Amino acid sequence: MTRGQQFGFALKALKRDLSAGELRVLALALIVAVASVTAVGFFTDRVGRAVERQAADVLAADLIASSGFPVKQEWLDEAQKRGVDTAMHTRFPSVVINDDDESQLVAVKAVSAGYPLRGALKLATLDNPTELANLATPAKGTAWIDPQLRDILQLSQGATLALGAKDFVVERIITFEPDAGENVMELSPRVMIHIDDLEGAELLTEGSRARYSLLMAGEEAAVDGMSEWMSDNFATDARIQSVRDSGPQLQRALGRAEKFLGLASVVTVLLAGAAIALAVRHFAYRQADASAVLRTLGASREDVIVWLVIRLALVATIASIIGVTIGWFAQLVLANFLSTWFSLELPAPGIKPPIVGTLTAFITLAGFGLLPVIKAGQVPVMRVLQRDYSGLQTGSIITAVLALAATFCVVWLLSGDLLLSAIVVLGVVAMLSVFALFGKYMIRAVRTLAGARFRLSVAGLERRASSSVVQLSAFAMGIMALLLIAIVRVDILSAWERDLPEDAPNVFVVNIQPEQVDGFGARLTDQGIQSNGFFPMVRARIAAFNGESIIKEVMSEREERRARREYNLTYANELPAANEIVDGQWWSAEEEGNFLSIEEEWANEYNYQVGDTITFKVAGVETTGTIKNLRKVDWESFQVNFFVVASPSMLNDFPQTFVSSFYLSDDFSKATSVWAREFPGIATLDIGAIVDRIKTLMDRASLAVEYVFFFTLLAGTCVLLAAVQSSQGERIRESALLRALGASHQQVRHAVVAEFAILGTIAGFLAAFFATIIAWGLSREVFELPFSVNPSLWLFGVVGGAVGISIAGYLATRKVLHTPPIVALRNTG
Amino acid sequence: MNTSAESQTPVSSPLIATDIVKRVSGPTGDMTILHGVSMQADAGEAVAIVGPSGSGKSTLLGILAGLDSPTEGVVTMQGQPLTDLDEDGRAKLRAQSVGFVFQSFQLLPGLSALENVMLPLELTQQDNVKERAMTVLDEVGLSHRASHHPLQLSGGEQQRVAVARAFVSKPTLLFADEPTGNLDSATGDRITELMFDMRKSVNAALVLVTHDDELAASCNRRLRMNDGRLSEL
Repeated sequence: MTRGQQFGFALKALKRDLSAGELRVLALALIVAVASVTAVGFFTDRVGRAVERQAADVLAADLIASSGFPVKQEWLDEAQKRGVDTAMHTRFPSVVINDDDESQLVAVKAVSAGYPLRGALKLATLDNPTELANLATPAKGTAWIDPQLRDILQLSQGATLALGAKDFVVERIITFEPDAGENVMELSPRVMIHIDDLEGAELLTEGSRARYSLLMAGEEAAVDGMSEWMSDNFATDARIQSVRDSGPQLQRALGRAEKFLGLASVVTVLLAGAAIALAVRHFAYRQADASAVLRTLGASREDVIVWLVIRLALVATIASIIGVTIGWFAQLVLANFLSTWFSLELPAPGIKPPIVGTLTAFITLAGFGLLPVIKAGQVPVMRVLQRDYSGLQTGSIITAVLALAATFCVVWLLSGDLLLSAIVVLGVVAMLSVFALFGKYMIRAVRTLAGARFRLSVAGLERRASSSVVQLSAFAMGIMALLLIAIVRVDILSAWERDLPEDAPNVFVVNIQPEQVDGFGARLTDQGIQSNGFFPMVRARIAAFNGESIIKEVMSEREERRARREYNLTYANELPAANEIVDGQWWSAEEEGNFLSIEEEWANEYNYQVGDTITFKVAGVETTGTIKNLRKVDWESFQVNFFVVASPSMLNDFPQTFVSSFYLSDDFSKATSVWAREFPGIATLDIGAIVDRIKTLMDRASLAVEYVFFFTLLAGTCVLLAAVQSSQGERIRESALLRALGASHQQVRHAVVAEFAILGTIAGFLAAFFATIIAWGLSREVFELPFSVNPSLWLFGVVGGAVGISIAGYLATRKVLHTPPIVALRNTG
Repeated sequence: MNTSAESQTPVSSPLIATDIVKRVSGPTGDMTILHGVSMQADAGEAVAIVGPSGSGKSTLLGILAGLDSPTEGVVTMQGQPLTDLDEDGRAKLRAQSVGFVFQSFQLLPGLSALENVMLPLELTQQDNVKERAMTVLDEVGLSHRASHHPLQLSGGEQQRVAVARAFVSKPTLLFADEPTGNLDSATGDRITELMFDMRKSVNAALVLVTHDDELAASCNRRLRMNDGRLSEL
């Protein structure tokens, strides 16, 4: 036969298969796989990009380059060439004076037109808190200010503020500044003016501590290109920050959301793969006899195999088209719902998800189905005469290797992570081995324990030992997925939300003088506010590293930044809460010497290691300490945290202030203006907006995860369906035989239900066991969240498994119970 | 040597088997199922092989039809030694000149009666497949059931479809394995009659394995298989 003829023949056969329902389960499994991968892909891609764009709000841009020098013209030229939008701002500390000659230290931000490129400012007038539409940027000669400044200087709408050599009319209160969190420690109240007003204001002179930033935003590819170009050419001249480098809290939250979604999608594919594997194996079994007949009638072995392969490929193609369409609509519905609910604008779907979805179908089908199908084409033709000639033998090392290779490829395709793919494959092997081993022994154990009533069912399970174990593994996988979705997901998500409690600190108070600590603490107690403690803070610069001065004649921007930057150090005899030692040891109060504890990521950035010494310069005096340990800091706790903690002996004699944090439910500006008067000099910082933002992000991510897990649920159901289906033929024949031998409907029904109940119980037990291990691993290693064993996992696993699988099994075999035994025997004989 | 086939081999014999030995390995060591069996079937001749269960009848039938290979000996089909052909070569030869009727019908459950009959013609890429299949289905009296699937047909009807499938490509050799074994006697008789009538019309040689003495008696020659040895009755 020519290829064309083979194709034509296969097409005809496929039409018959489809109308006869031969490929129904396989097609369904493929459709679910493609639809879920596509929907998850579309969705994670779109939401991921939207969430990233949200994170971009924190920078007010997709990319920022900032340095101590004015923005270079060539950066602007390059951005224009690449079609990247730009805006600029310059930040520096200064002093404003009101009409009453009262002065206040402020943080000036002079912005150009276009700022913010991402996110929006929220504004109000000074006398009316109603939010106003965004007015873009301050007009020349006007200033927008922080509400705190209004309260401190008692300003009203239209008041004048002197800043440098110019006067500014105060027009707006800034109630929300998207990129305020970018520099949390900019403590003074904000004054925002137009960048052109810097000219002639005599604010910036040689040596001013100004930060010049170029904000960039645009198409992903263009921004990525720009980022690369900046990093390649100006990494030492400027600090280049992209969304990924934005605040540690948001970054962590974003990372977790991505992990959740990625994990959901990998689990879905694994389950769908299992369903495909079962269904294609079932198909191959069904085709083995047909292929023997065809070869008896004169078809060559190659013809038979090619027909089978073409049929599978056609099924995969049709399923891919249907799956991609369903996936697209599914994500469309959710995207619409998400964007209206959260007013979140989602970027258009990309082309990658349907390609990945289709590839997943083909790779899975090839990996799991190719060998069984080839073997189905090779069964001995003598089977048409003598049934004792061996049928389809699918269990072999090559089958397993091919299936694992396919799993590896698919996980790799989805995650792009080789190590993760290897871990997943090894995990699947370990899990299936345990399922197989324990399953076999548990079936035997049940047989020993079973009374006469169940002996028939258990004997059935043992007789079909290999298919029972396959079925058991599939049930266990399916139940495990459902447990992970129903219970573990909720546990992990709530642990995540618990991680950022309702009363997470939203106010930081700094610059508390040592003599004010007691008074301020008492004031807080009066107001019913629970402080998280007062921590000493010493401002210092780094002078030397391992005895060598860090000031050099020629320094890169980075080195200069390090040398010029002031750090807030604290000292303590105990490891701060929400901190964990990752290298070295904490010091004891009795130990003599100057010790330092450094935050892990900060240490990595400058390559500091345990045993190194750092010399700090505090108020002109040098003090040196040895790094005793590196710490991991839980930034999401929003507690007061420090990059550097010293032993008390090293710092307690230096000038210091105190810092505290707490949750304030009252109006922020009202409370702070009271404190400002009672405790002059203290500065308060409202981080409520940042906390809210993280919470919103968590809510969105949780919702996305719930939705993605819906597909996992579908895939899990598909596995169960395919598993029930896989033994249906045998079971129907046996039931018919039992009935032919005189068993009543009820007896047969009991036997079937009991057999599925036994399988379900064992599978549920194994599933609960693995779900617990996976939950532990995920909480601890992936999401870094606390873990606790959930007893309901076992209850739902075992009881739910027994009941659920019995019902599913009964429903699937119900038809045969109502079919005359002779018909059933003839049909399956 | 147990049969009369050792004399002159007529060129017209579509099937000649010489000194067929079949050994298989079992749990207790090698087991010989066929001990040097020889036989032939001439054009238009009907040969019945009878014998008790387990005597090796079906094994011999499988080897004669090229479904299995002998351990020793040669089967020549249409002048072509099967030992010279690989499995696909034997399949091709079967497609051109062999028809089968099985005890368990062996219809493909996914195909309708008509589609089952069309199969051998489609495999050899012939023309007017549907019309020709329909004609044969009509000959077996089942044209009104053409669109039914095997599961919707009675045992007798299924076997009639199988007979139609066996004859649609006008074979020169027909192998039948207990063709009435799954049918009641009245239905079995009708199938036998149909099969013999159709065989006559295409002048095919028939090799029939059966327990049924009456059925065997309708053949030109009867051979008895006993413990892997064949003798003429």
